[in-house]
Amino acid sequence: MTTLGLLFMIGSLTFVWGLAAWCYRKVLTAPAEDHVVKPPDSLGG
Amino acid sequence: MSEPKQQWGSRIGVILAVAGSAVGLGNFLRFPGQAADNGGGAFMIPYFCALIFLGIPIGWAEWTMGRYGGRKGFHSAPAILGVIGKGKIARYLGVIGVLIPLGVSFYYVFIEAWCLSYAIEYVRAIFGGTALGVESGAPLAQQTAASAGHFGAMVGRSGDGSLFEGGLAPIVYAFLFVFAINVWLVKRGLSGGIETFCKWAMPAMAICAVFVLVRVLTLPDQGEGRNVSNGLGFMWNPDFEKLWEPKAWIAAAGQIFFSLSVGFGVIVNYASYMKKKDDLVLSGLTASATNEVFEVGFGGMITLTAAFVFLGLAGMAEALAGGSFGLGFTTLPVVFAHMPFGNYFGALWFFMLFLAAITSSISMYQPTLAFVQESLGFTRGKAIALVASLGLIGSGWCIWFSGGMTALGTIDDWVGTFLIVVLAAVQVICFSWVWGLERGMKEAHHGSHLRIPKIMWFVLKWVAPTYLLITIGRFVWNDLGQWIAALGQNVVARNTIFLVLGVTALLVMFTYLGEKRWRAAGLDVDGEREPDEDRVPAKTGKG
Repeated sequence: MTTLGLLFMIGSLTFVWGLAAWCYRKVLTAPAEDHVVKPPDSLGG
Repeated sequence: MSEPKQQWGSRIGVILAVAGSAVGLGNFLRFPGQAADNGGGAFMIPYFCALIFLGIPIGWAEWTMGRYGGRKGFHSAPAILGVIGKGKIARYLGVIGVLIPLGVSFYYVFIEAWCLSYAIEYVRAIFGGTALGVESGAPLAQQTAASAGHFGAMVGRSGDGSLFEGGLAPIVYAFLFVFAINVWLVKRGLSGGIETFCKWAMPAMAICAVFVLVRVLTLPDQGEGRNVSNGLGFMWNPDFEKLWEPKAWIAAAGQIFFSLSVGFGVIVNYASYMKKKDDLVLSGLTASATNEVFEVGFGGMITLTAAFVFLGLAGMAEALAGGSFGLGFTTLPVVFAHMPFGNYFGALWFFMLFLAAITSSISMYQPTLAFVQESLGFTRGKAIALVASLGLIGSGWCIWFSGGMTALGTIDDWVGTFLIVVLAAVQVICFSWVWGLERGMKEAHHGSHLRIPKIMWFVLKWVAPTYLLITIGRFVWNDLGQWIAALGQNVVARNTIFLVLGVTALLVMFTYLGEKRWRAAGLDVDGEREPDEDRVPAKTGKG
């Protein structure tokens, strides 16, 4: 395996695992239903 | 007595159900082949671009349309697209959103039976004998021939009706068993059946995948450069020249589409059971991220690495030429025959594929079930009987016409490949152009725990529709003539298309009857007013 191959592999794995971990952390620690982001200002949020 | 309203039990439940629908055989068998064929590690550049700029935003649009339709009392693609697309044309195009999951289920449940059958064969082999007729001491060519022969005999490749000669073949019993499990899970309902099963099956799949991954990454060096490092290199070493070829970018977008179940008709249905206050932006992203872990994190690490270590560079060309089925059901059994404790890992691997398949197939029946219920006013029990009958007829067709797997291949090409892109295009155009992007984004943000970046607005308005229309145009220009000519040369393929058209006619008729029912019930069929819960009550003068 070349160094570039290793870099692409590690980068891709870090991205997908990192994204999934970030999402699940956010889902599992999500506060009550009323604590949500508002729609963008342009939509009257 | 009215039936209890179907709804999701928990937020994590709906995420795992959607992820379960997305994670399937394509993650483990199709993705690595596509990557190796289109630049290895460099393929990940167009692949992640397609994920971020096509898959995730179109997925958000589907979640949004589904939840909005559900708030208006609809759960099927024809009804929901009628509301979003404001009229008859979108409503009847929405029939594709029922046809795809139902049509794909015709052959997918059969493939599910193959996975279960292979897993059982490996469990048997643990207690003695050889799995799938592959002798590890025989020359490699002989092993591959034995594996291919076993697979061909199992699926009845030799001729139509061959699985019914001299009594039912074992795979037909396996199919009936798997089909019964599907019907039973769907019958238990959204929360009690699909959600509960996915909450159990998805972690179980991940555990199986981790065990197989650890085994593959610790395989001993087989000499002549056949080791894990070179196996990973075969999949991941970048070939930047390939990035200049449009084929790599088209393949990446295609893989993302098929993998995320975008344009499949399932997300719209699943999201229709969510409430206005339920978050869908983070949920949609989480379901996509879960799918990527299985695809890149497991599929990209296991399949080709294991095959390379035992077959070497020379054997890989043949393995990839066989496509997903060849790689999964002919090559990997040879790999497991060489692997220490191969029978255990073979059993684990095919059981994992079986779980991946069943979490997908149950999601294929649910949209049709919801459609039959709301268009014909059937009770859930009666609707299940009708959908199960349709499923049995369609699958029975694929199993009977098993010669050369023509029926299966025809439905996969026309319904499971071409129509997905068509439905995605219809949905994106309805969402961004007819319903209105501003309105769509406002709806998406109700209850949201994340904000959709502004760039995605541009993507949904311009990039996604352009990409989809170019893809359809390119197909019509380059391939449609050949596809139609191929139908003329093969009676089974042609009759399979007639079967699909017959099912389509039935669904169109149901839509017609449904529209009459919905109008009679005073439902907002053409999306002319806001959902009741959004209407501001008239001021009483107090405030």
